Amino acid sequence: MARYSINNRMAGSQQALAATLKSQVSLTAVTATLCRGQIVELAYGADGAPNATDCQIVYDAARQTTVGTGTSATPNLENPADVASRSLGTVNYTVEPTVTGGTAFVGSIWSRTLNQRAAQQWFANPGSELVWPATNVNGIVIRALSPTYTSNVLVDVKYDDF
Amino acid sequence: MRKPGGYSIIVEPDKADLEEDTFTCGHCCKVVFVKPLCDPAEMGGRCTCCDKLICKYCVGKGCDPLEKKLLRWEAAGRLREAMRSE
Repeated sequence: MARYSINNRMAGSQQALAATLKSQVSLTAVTATLCRGQIVELAYGADGAPNATDCQIVYDAARQTTVGTGTSATPNLENPADVASRSLGTVNYTVEPTVTGGTAFVGSIWSRTLNQRAAQQWFANPGSELVWPATNVNGIVIRALSPTYTSNVLVDVKYDDF
Repeated sequence: MRKPGGYSIIVEPDKADLEEDTFTCGHCCKVVFVKPLCDPAEMGGRCTCCDKLICKYCVGKGCDPLEKKLLRWEAAGRLREAMRSE
């Protein structure tokens, strides 16, 4: 099983947050190289100067079922001896993808509110990863919103293809 | 938590780091953050059928493990692709 990492500084332009969820990084299966994948590590935090008014940033992960419009990013290999990732990494969405549960947090598999100055890291132990199916354009998207902080966030994801 | 499914740390200036154990629901894949000394019933429970820890939203809804869901989604995807290619 090969491990890869991707973040939303790797390609395209980071999209400033707004009061509605903005997709930052997504990982999806593609028909040509169909395989399952699993997120094993998530790290995120603000990537801009904090707002003068103390405020929150809400981070969310949800299951994606259609592709929106974003910039394709080639994931980095954790081990250079591995083959290139078979999953598609898309970052900095300008048109939101369709997610299970719609735009609300109904289908969210991860949601966390942090202070704008805070950052979080999460590591999954074996057997507790966030798995997506080997179905075309299905995957997991990491999104964020803030009604007050209107700059960028950095989301870094480590994942396995299998 | 004994045998946690994951570990989370939140760092924030002028505050102590917040470390939490997590587990991933065996039915819906939702990540649950375990508060120290919290009532196990608040977090969800253990499915008596598949023996996995589950979140509170999946308690009492029957056993539908994630692996079975993945297989269903993949079968539906294959069907969609087959219909599209005809």
